[in-house]
Amino acid sequence: MLVLSRHRDESIMIGDNIVITIVDIRGDKVRLGIAAPQDIPVHRQEVYEAIQRENQQAARLQPNEAAALRKTK
Amino acid sequence: MDIYTARFGKLEIADEEVILFADGLIGFENLVNWILLSDEQSEDLGWLQSLQQPEVALAVVSPRRFAPEYRVRMEKEESSPLRLTADDEVFVLTIVSKHDDSLTINLRAPVVINLTKQLGLQIVTTDEQPLQYEIQSEPSVYRKSA
Repeated sequence: MLVLSRHRDESIMIGDNIVITIVDIRGDKVRLGIAAPQDIPVHRQEVYEAIQRENQQAARLQPNEAAALRKTK
Repeated sequence: MDIYTARFGKLEIADEEVILFADGLIGFENLVNWILLSDEQSEDLGWLQSLQQPEVALAVVSPRRFAPEYRVRMEKEESSPLRLTADDEVFVLTIVSKHDDSLTINLRAPVVINLTKQLGLQIVTTDEQPLQYEIQSEPSVYRKSA
């Protein structure tokens, strides 16, 4: 893994169209600004991984288990 | 065309019924072609069925029924794959899952479908909505999970 040191308001570029800027540093928290093309999704890793797991769990659901959601008329 | 599904057997579908998820779904990034099936016995329950993997289908419901106050908050740019215009008909669905004995819906990552253009996208909301919003547990009572 490439490790770079940056100060506040400095940036790094990934390729020629993604710019990540250090917006603020406070204690152990860093705020990043990310400028990327619209077709490149940007996600917080832990949130993305949690949604991956959630979708994979959901894909195991069988019709009989979801039957309770049918509205009774 | 005929498609084979693990849950619903062989189905005959029209090409124009196919919904393109250009980015796939999260965790299923390679699955771009889906179809929305309505449950045989209920219009309130749907199944988003992958055309590429017969065993992958996700139960979906409208969040309105379980979380009337729910609003999808997202970055404007994030919706660009849906190519939305003012006249397009849009459908918001949430994916149903099961944890222990509880059925939950994922309010953090709803599925948005542009029905007019047959384009779909799973969105990550900008507000911290629950990933597992409990909608039914045994015995059947409706309550909100923390």
